[in-house]
Amino acid sequence: MNSLLTPAMAGLSAGGAYAILGVCAIFTYRLVAVVNFTGAAVGACGAFIMVALVEMGMPLFPAVVLGIAAGALAALFVGFITTIWFSGANGSVKAAVTAALLVGFIALGLRLTGGQHPKRFPDILQGAWLRLADVQITNASIAAIGLAIVLTIAAEQFLNRTRTGLELRALSERPMAAELLGIRVRLLALIVWAIAGAVTAFALMLIAPLRSPDFASLSLLIVPALAAALIGAFKSFRAALFGGLAIGIIEGLASGLVGLNQYRAAIPFIVILLVLLWSQREARWDESR
Amino acid sequence: MNALELNKVHIKRGDIPIVHGVDIVAKPGEISVLLGANGAGKTTILEGTSGVIPIASGDIVLEGAQMCKASAGHRARSGIAHVEQGRTIFAEMSTEDNLRVGLHPESGLEQAYDLFPELKTRANVKSAMLSGGEQQMLVIARALLGKPKVVLIDEMSAGLAPVVVARLMQAVRLLADQGLAVLLVEQFANLALDIGDRAYVLRRGEVVYDGSCEILRNDPAMLHHLYLGDMEKDSA
Ligand SMILES: Nc1ncnc2c1ncn2[C@@H]1O[C@H](COP(=O)(O)OP(=O)(O)OP(=O)(O)O)[C@@H](O)[C@H]1O
Ligand SMILES: [Mg+2]
Repeated sequence: MNSLLTPAMAGLSAGGAYAILGVCAIFTYRLVAVVNFTGAAVGACGAFIMVALVEMGMPLFPAVVLGIAAGALAALFVGFITTIWFSGANGSVKAAVTAALLVGFIALGLRLTGGQHPKRFPDILQGAWLRLADVQITNASIAAIGLAIVLTIAAEQFLNRTRTGLELRALSERPMAAELLGIRVRLLALIVWAIAGAVTAFALMLIAPLRSPDFASLSLLIVPALAAALIGAFKSFRAALFGGLAIGIIEGLASGLVGLNQYRAAIPFIVILLVLLWSQREARWDESR
Repeated sequence: MNALELNKVHIKRGDIPIVHGVDIVAKPGEISVLLGANGAGKTTILEGTSGVIPIASGDIVLEGAQMCKASAGHRARSGIAHVEQGRTIFAEMSTEDNLRVGLHPESGLEQAYDLFPELKTRANVKSAMLSGGEQQMLVIARALLGKPKVVLIDEMSAGLAPVVVARLMQAVRLLADQGLAVLLVEQFANLALDIGDRAYVLRRGEVVYDGSCEILRNDPAMLHHLYLGDMEKDSA
């Protein structure tokens, strides 16, 4: 029993991270209409800047704050390119631009952070939250899941209850009509990018110690994140939350089963494939509106 | 004073010149009607004025302020409202949320509901579920709540039943009577001429008539000639 529970619990923290990144992916997709492949990479920038600052002797708290700000800035950079330079381009072009930027981010990030040797990440939340026999749930995984849930609710409430959220919904539905009503279209779009970058940076700081924290593998967390977003049809934050957690748990379980262990990295791809096949059937995938 | 002035405005679509140096004004309390056949360039003029597309040359002046370099958002915040062709509602939102989007701090939703009481009963309905007439009322009311100085309205009557059109015309007249400047684009001339003050007839991107609505209203033959002048020549 425990032999399955332990890996499942380990998977839960990864699932929390996938959920957070998935919710951020939906947030950017819904509001600025970009499938953002750099979603995790910008967060990785923030997380690694935090590590660098700590290594230089800065206390943890200001280093975390500056790292979050750096994540926001990195996301603003991507946002600037996609929503200002490529403002006239369609969604596929913008997605391709972010995919290209991801490659650039990874190359640069690996170079600056010393390649694939995992960095030592400070454990922001040390210790175990709960330990039963040999099953343990760490503080970091509780925080990741907690943050995922809080973020999901916050995103829904923000969009449905605030004036800015209302303007963002208008902007995402009809950018020109929104602008003709006096909405500050570019400013709002850049705010969306900054929020997503800041949240992702913080999330990666939390979960990096649980993974092999080199720049490339953190950046590629975007794959399970997009799988989670896909489960939410790039629309439902809640579905992405559950999807992200589910992918994490399945991954964890797979790693506990000897024969499946080597293939667990393929799980997000299998999920993406299944969801795409399913959505084809439901013809949800049209972007024609 | 004029609320809005277009001076020698030229507009291109891609590389093709569509509007060739038009002069148009809209005054507070008046309705300027812009008429013309399909493809004459009416929508192009409104889009150039509100900033949806850039103009090639000329001036757009709003209460003395140059607007032609400003973004669409800036022009909107300065007081140019544009009710686009085709009822651009935010379909996923309720009627009331649609109205809130551009709500000026000094406006209130009641203004919209006073003008179109039927919207109030539909306040919490998803706007995609509204009838065509209600959707048209919604976009006009929504533009109004931004506290504009001039409203550009493009083909509001397209595809609507005559009673609904009459209702909309009456509402637009009321807005002008309250002091707003209106530039109204219509393809079906008679109803617009009934409520309008000043009329422009556009043919192939040029103003071929600039004068009172009354003269055109009383001279259908002249109106017909202005609309179709080219074609008469072409077929001759
Ligand atoms: N996006 C575009 N690209 C190129 N040409 C265009 C574009 N939109 C319109 N045109 C052309 O510009 C001319 C004027 O079009 P416009 O839409 O301004 O006319 P309109 O007077 O509003 O006509 P309607 O009564 O049909 O709405 C037409 O010849 C049209 O073919
Ligand atoms: Mg038109």
